[in-house]
Order: sequence, then structure tokens, then C-alpha cells
Amino acid sequence: MLLELKNMFKWVTVGGNRIFLLKDINLQVQEGEFISIMGPSGSGKSTLLNVIGMLDGFDEGEYNFLHESVHKLKEKQRAQLYKQYIGFVFQQYHLIDELTVYENIETPLLYQDVKSSERKAMVADMLDRFNIVGKKDLFPSQLSGGQQQLVGIARALIAKPKLILADEPTGNLNSRQGEEIMELFTQLNKEGVTIIQVTHSEKNAAYAGRTIHLLDGRIEKHINN
Amino acid sequence: MLKTYFKITLRNLWRNKLYSFINIAGLAMGIAAFILILQYVSFEKSVNGFHENIATTYRLLNEDPKGQTWPQVEPGWAQKAKDRFPEIQAYCRFEEGVGQGIVRRNAENAEPFRETNVGYAEGNFFEFFSFNVLEGSAAAFKKPNVVFLSTATAKKYFGKAEPVGQSLTLYNQFGKANYTVSGVYDIPVNSDIRYDMVFSLETLSNPANLNDNDWAQLDNLSSQYIHTYFRINETADYKKLEQKLTTLRNELKKDKDGLVFRLQPFANVHLPASFSDTYQTSGNLKYVYILSIIAILILAIAWFNYINLSTANALKRANEVGVRKVVGASRGSLVLQFLGESMLVNLISFGLALLIVRLLQPLFNTIIEKELTFTSLLSTPAWVAGLVLLIIGSLLSGAYTAYSLSGFNPVETLKGKLVKTTKAVVLRKSLVVFQFSISIGLLLATAFIYRQLNYMQNKNLGVNTDQLLVIRGPQVDKDSTYKMRRTAFINAIAQQSFVKDYSLSGSVPGNGYNFATSGFSQPGSRKGDELKSFSFALIDDRYLNTYQIGLAAGRTFTQAETMVDWNDNDKVLMNEKAIEELGFKSPEEALNTKVQWDERKLQVIGVVKNYHHIGLQKAIDPIIFYPQSNSAYFTVRLQTDRIQDNVAQLETMFKSYFRNNPFEYFFANDNFNKQYISEQQYSKLFTTASVWAIIIACLGLFGLATYTVEARTKEIGVRKVLGANVLTIARLLSKDFLQLVFIAFVIAVPVVWYAMYRWLENFAYKVQLSWWVFAAAGIVAIGIALLTISFQAIKAAIANPVKSLRTQ
Repeated sequence: MLLELKNMFKWVTVGGNRIFLLKDINLQVQEGEFISIMGPSGSGKSTLLNVIGMLDGFDEGEYNFLHESVHKLKEKQRAQLYKQYIGFVFQQYHLIDELTVYENIETPLLYQDVKSSERKAMVADMLDRFNIVGKKDLFPSQLSGGQQQLVGIARALIAKPKLILADEPTGNLNSRQGEEIMELFTQLNKEGVTIIQVTHSEKNAAYAGRTIHLLDGRIEKHINN
Repeated sequence: MLKTYFKITLRNLWRNKLYSFINIAGLAMGIAAFILILQYVSFEKSVNGFHENIATTYRLLNEDPKGQTWPQVEPGWAQKAKDRFPEIQAYCRFEEGVGQGIVRRNAENAEPFRETNVGYAEGNFFEFFSFNVLEGSAAAFKKPNVVFLSTATAKKYFGKAEPVGQSLTLYNQFGKANYTVSGVYDIPVNSDIRYDMVFSLETLSNPANLNDNDWAQLDNLSSQYIHTYFRINETADYKKLEQKLTTLRNELKKDKDGLVFRLQPFANVHLPASFSDTYQTSGNLKYVYILSIIAILILAIAWFNYINLSTANALKRANEVGVRKVVGASRGSLVLQFLGESMLVNLISFGLALLIVRLLQPLFNTIIEKELTFTSLLSTPAWVAGLVLLIIGSLLSGAYTAYSLSGFNPVETLKGKLVKTTKAVVLRKSLVVFQFSISIGLLLATAFIYRQLNYMQNKNLGVNTDQLLVIRGPQVDKDSTYKMRRTAFINAIAQQSFVKDYSLSGSVPGNGYNFATSGFSQPGSRKGDELKSFSFALIDDRYLNTYQIGLAAGRTFTQAETMVDWNDNDKVLMNEKAIEELGFKSPEEALNTKVQWDERKLQVIGVVKNYHHIGLQKAIDPIIFYPQSNSAYFTVRLQTDRIQDNVAQLETMFKSYFRNNPFEYFFANDNFNKQYISEQQYSKLFTTASVWAIIIACLGLFGLATYTVEARTKEIGVRKVLGANVLTIARLLSKDFLQLVFIAFVIAVPVVWYAMYRWLENFAYKVQLSWWVFAAAGIVAIGIALLTISFQAIKAAIANPVKSLRTQ
């Protein structure tokens, strides 16, 4: 098992009242799974993704990741954990505007102190795999949305994570670009990468092995596709 | 990693050109001001430091019971002290001013020059002090009738010819004497003792060379005209020696004058060790401090710009921070990145600052009236302190930015929510208030300094110095025909149609008095009056008319009275202040009384209305006008527009009667205003500093306004859609900033009021600290701020709201 959430609650207090963002979440994710999270706006999809990605905390419950109890870890150890195992993909791509394609992809390796020669090989490999060698010296603003997202995914993959968390990765793309990304995800999943994506689109959700439906912070239903 | 940071910084700077320009320009201006001022401070600290034995060298000072000190002492003490106290290894005496006169090379048709920066010095002068003798030997100076020249002076008199072995004639109060040039020296710019030429003091030990000036005898203990320096044993306690010297003074001096001796360490001769050290110095510690404070304040304004703009820019950087955190950046590495960025920005600014320093050096040199170069900076370790301060400041300003930027929560920034911490906003506002307090403070100080200067230059002096040309009297060839030639010259002047009036006098307004003395009292002799000091001015019968000075009672001298011998004269004029000092109730009461001057009786034949003989810093002195047809100055009142031509005519006339004398003249009003050089310097300095500070602060304000407008684009769009007009929106955007400038004004006013109140205490005649000047400066500051902000505010207000709303 890759990760497990048990009776997880997350809330904010507004004017003395607790407003629950996540309510009694129980979820097990096996290595190699491809999961979609769906639900209306404000149902807690992104919050859940952020909690899984350890970017955000929670108030009650347990979270085990690769047999580590995340809720017992300190901030630094948690960061260490997600840096090593998790890659993020965003709806707005979130590339660094001042860096070229090559440099954007290289950034995570810099923070993991990978040697320069090794970095070169890894980035070259990734560029090659995504067919963007010719664009390596361009800046994000010079790319189309689909291309930017490809770079975003390449960046998420470069450190060889076990888990990819994607928050509406196709939300800003047209349908053809969206399909390409989904096919890429399927391919990656086949190669053994676990993927959890948040999506609004039934069609994209169907690429995954199972779909989790959220409503008001609760898991409403599990559907195996 | 470092390379990537470097790259991203440069790309960031390039992308946000306006922001980068404001940051770098502001910092460069701040650092440039800092470097220039550091140069000055460094120079001032380095003065006299090149003397090898500075630590064991002391200057002898006289101190009066009021605590006033001066370095002109009686020449006889040096040898007597050395004979008596074994801890004194050596002494060196020299004088400044007594020896000035006219110097001419002994050659056909050689041009005479008036030399004011010359003097007599002890034979060991070039051994006692560490001056560089380039030609000749230092020992040669021990002989009488020997002169050493500075390299520039040697060139002036002899051109390319070999100066050593040549001879010069010096005409001064000691008559006419020949001197052999025996050496050429070089004096560093940072030396207090600097002569264009120096004559051997040994010459004056021969009574034949004194021209009856017995006061100058080198062993006398009564006339204070010479500077004396002692070199003492390293182990000796100079404070004890000081007491022993005073004891010696009291033992040998018959007429007790209440003076004591002080020894001033040579190292403190230029700048005192602290403000509590009140001995006379040649430098101005206050000026050094004021400049240092201004330098640091201007630098702070620039750094605050950096902090303000980078944190305001967080809007743009937040996303990057979020992404970097998500892909694995630790806070430490982000702090490092942003610190590196600020160091790079500071470094670029530093480079640009060096360029600005190069460009502004001449301007700065005219303001502070020094010949500074970049090497002055390196003359003392002060530059190390400056560099450390620069590094610490850029680290601190960078550290704050780094700390606040690296603290963003990635989840929130990636969602596009900008975390608006009130702490950052309060800090930004306080920094703007601080910047403008400084700028407004400097502006206000400038206004008052300027007003005081203006007041002094335009106040009715009681004497009319306009269109008065003053010619320095001749000094060379005062032979048997001199009196005749002088009369002929005066007659020639009188006949010129452009001459309205003329006069001969020993003293002119702005150039001090002939001398000051005590011993005066009323006929009835009131006790204590004889101790009061009166200033003496030697004037002829035409002086009051020429200078248009009024009489309160009586008459001025007749021509015959000005011809009477000094000791036979029994008539004087006094000014109103003088008769008041002597206890007369009115000019009429004083008129025709015979006042006592020690043994002599002098009839007061007229009372002169008070007028300013010297600058307005000092109250009007009691003056005694003594009749004498003294030819130190010829004053001519011109009635003409063709001043150039008339001066040329006067020169031809002067030269024809006084051959071998240089024709030297000045205008009385310029000469009088020379007394305000220090105030003019302050005025220039503060004007420059305040303009500089305001530019940097406004750069920052402009940047902040730009960001505020960017951050509020959507709000402005919505308001416009809802029907707000351009004016309302411009007002909305400007209001916050103007509030800050107003608060800054409120803070600056009391501080400046106090500082200016203290400064104006230096003047006997001064301007009021009027409320309207404060108000006017406040309006100017707010106006400048408004102009700065309104550009962005109006641009935002007239922009099409559809655009701004769509992009959101």
C-alpha cells in the first residue's frame, strides 16, 4: 500500500463555528493505481489533494504514507518525504516564468543536490521522452498551454516520484490537448507511477481505474471504472 | 545552483525594468553620496597623519580664563622650556601671516607677486616635520636668508630653470631682503601646515633684519605671533609638562595676563578627539559629523526603497516561491536565493555608484571646497568601516525581503491568493514615513539656512558697499619718493570722472580691524572700564563719506588731523556701541569729552552710527576710529557701468606710480560676503543633500505607486464600471500616500525646529523660525509626492476597465 487516510477531519473556525473542509475521510491507495477525484466546486477536492501532497495539514485522523505516520512527522521530515516521492501538476502549470523549459525541468534536481552531469542526462532524457528537445531554450510564455503542461508534467516526473498529484491538469486546455495529457497519464501509470488527479470532466475521470466523488468534504461514493 | 540564481536574478531584473531601474538607480545614488562623503571624512581623518612622529608631537596653545585657546604664542618660550625641561627633545616654531608680502625674482623684468601663504619657520622645519625635500638638503634651511619653495611656486618663479641657487627679494613689514633658494619641497594635500614658500626664521634673529619691528624678536615673551611645536619623550606625561610650562610662564612673565599654557596633541590639531575637546582646530568636527549622518540617512532611504519595492513586488514573486517550495526548495535555499539577489542588485548599484562618483566629484569638491580624489578614500581605514557598513546594510535589506518572501505558504500563493500581512503593510508605511521625514527635514533645514544667508547678505549694514572698489596699497619701494608718488596717485584718482569718492584706510569692512586694545575709560574713570576691549580702525577724513556711514553727533576728521603723528594725535571718533560701553547715555553726552587711553587723553570729536564692520555672525563691536592717512587700502566709489574699463585705467595709474607692486583689488561687497563662506557651504551642502534625498525617496514612492495601482487594477475596474470618475479614482489612490507624507512632515517639523534653533544661536543677527516657512516646505513636499503618485494614479484611472477586468 502506498498511502492510507483514516478518519481524517480538517476544519476552519469562522465566528466560533467549525466549518468542515474534510469530514471523516477514509482512503487507501495502492501502488500503481490511477484515481480520479470529482465533485462540485467547494467539495474539498483540492484540499484533499493538498493534504495527500503534505502541502497542507489536517486536524484529526491518521495519514500513513509508505508506512510512515505523516501526522507524527515534523515539518522538515514531511517536506523530505514529499520531495522524494511526490510530483505535482497544476491547472495553471505554475512554471517559473524567468526560467527556460530546460531550467524549469531541472529545478527539482537542483534542490536534491543531483550532480551536474547526472542532471544533464536526466533532463535530456525527459525532453526526449516528451518530444520537446527543440523547445528547451524557450520561456514558458513562448509555449502553448498544452506544451506548458507537458513541461509541468516533465518537471513533476524528473525526480522519479512514486506518486503524481494533478489538480485539474487539463482545466486550462482545449479538448485535444486534454486528451493528449490523459493519454500520457495512462502511459505513465502503465509504467508504474501512481496518479491521483482532480477533474471536473467525466470523460477525463474515466481514464482512471476508480473515481472518488466528494460532496461537502465527505466521500460520497467510490466508483470503479 | 548559484548559476541558476544568478541567471534568474538577471532575468527578473530585465523583465521588471521599471522596478529594477528604481531599485538600482536609488541604491546607486545612495551609495554614491555615501562614497563621496566617506572620501571627505577619510580625508579629514588623514590630515597630518603622515608625520612620522605625530604621536610624540604637541602644539603649544595659549588659553585665556574664558577657555578660549589660540596657537599664536610668544616666541621666547620654546628655548626656555627646552632648557628647563629635559623631556622636551626638540621644538619647531613657525609663523603664519606675519611674513606675507611681495616677492620678486632677482632678474630683469621679473614679475612681482603678492604672496599671502608664506611664512618664516625654524631651521629644523624640514627635519621636525615629515615634508619631502625634493631638491637641496633639509639642513640647508638652518642658515639665515634662505628660502625653500613648493614645487608649484618654484615653477611659478623660475619656470623650467633650476631654482636652487637662484635668489628672490621679499618685501614685507620687515623691509626688503634677499633670500637664496636652497630647496624645493612637496607637501601632501592632507597637511595643515602648507606654505607656498618658507623663509628661514633664523633671518629674524638678526636685529638688522627686523626693520624696527621689535615685537618680532625671537626671544621675546610678550608678542603672540608664533606657532610652537614640541617633540617630547615617549614616556613623558604631557599633561604634567603642560602644568610645568604654565608655572614657567608665571615665573618669567612680569605683567600677569591670566593666560595658561595648553599642549594639544598634534593628532588633534586638525580634528578634535571629541566635541568636549574645545581647543582650536583647523578642521570642523561638526561638519564631519553632519556629513556622515547625511550619508547614512541617504543610504538608508535607498535601502528602504529596496525593502519596500521588493516586498511590494511579492505579488509577482509569490508564485515562484510557491512553485519552488512544491518542487522541493527548503526555506533556507529560498532565503539564500533572495539574499543573493539583493547582493547582486547592490553590487550592480555599487558599480554604477562608482561611475556617479567619478562624474560628480568636481561638483562635490566645489561644495566642500576640497580637492578630493578617489584615493582620498583609501588614505585611512575609514573605507573599511564604510565597506562593512555597505555590506551589512545590503545584507539586512536583503535579509528582510528574503525572510518575508520565503515565508509564503505555497498552497495559498499557488491558488493566487496573495497573503496580505498587515505587518508588512505597517512596515512599508513606516519606512515611507521615515524616508519622507528625512527628505522634508533636509528641505526645511535648507530653507532656513538659505534664508539666514540671504538675510545676512541683504541686511542693511549701515555702510554702503556697492560699487566700491578697494585697491591694496603698495608695499614695495617705499623710499623717499613714496609719499610724493602716493599723493600724485590720489590726485590722479580724484580727477577721474568715474570716481565719485575715495578714501585711504588701514581697515575696511569685512577685513577685520587694525587691532584691538583695552585701557579706555571715561574722564571720571569708572572701575572696570579699562578692562573692556575696543577695536581700532585707522581711517582718513574721507572714509565715512566714501563708505556712506552716518554720524550720530559731531564731525569727522579733517585732512590736517589725519596727518598728525600717531603719538601727537588727541582726537578720535567712536561708534555708538563704544560710547555705550564707556557709560555715556547719549552721543551728545560723549561729544567733546576727553576719554582716557592709559596715560593719554583723546577728545571724542564725533560719534559714528553703528554699522557692521564684520559679518553678522557677531554683534557690532565697540570701535575707536583713529585718524591716519594709512595706505593699506585705497577705496574708490565708482559711478559707472563700465567697471572693466575703469579697473584697467586704475591699474595703469597704479603701475605708473608704484612700479614693482602688484595691482590687487577687490569689490567691497564681495569681500564682505566672503565672511559667509561657511554658511554658503552649509547652504550648498544642504541643498544638494535634500535634492538627492528627495529624488531617491520619490523614486521609491513612484515604484510603490506603480505596484499599488497594479495590485488594485481589478478594484479600479469595478469602481469604474460602477460609475466612478477619473478624479475620484486618482484621489482614492493618492490619499494613502499623501497621508504618509503628511505624517512625515509632522515628525520632521519639531526636529528641524530644534536643530535650526541651535544653529541660529551662532548668529547675533538672525531670521525668525517663521511658521510659514514650515508650511511652505510642507506644501512643496506634498506637491512633489503628489506629482510622483498622480502619474500612476491618473494612468490607472483613465485605463479602460474592460481590459483590466478581463485579464483577472
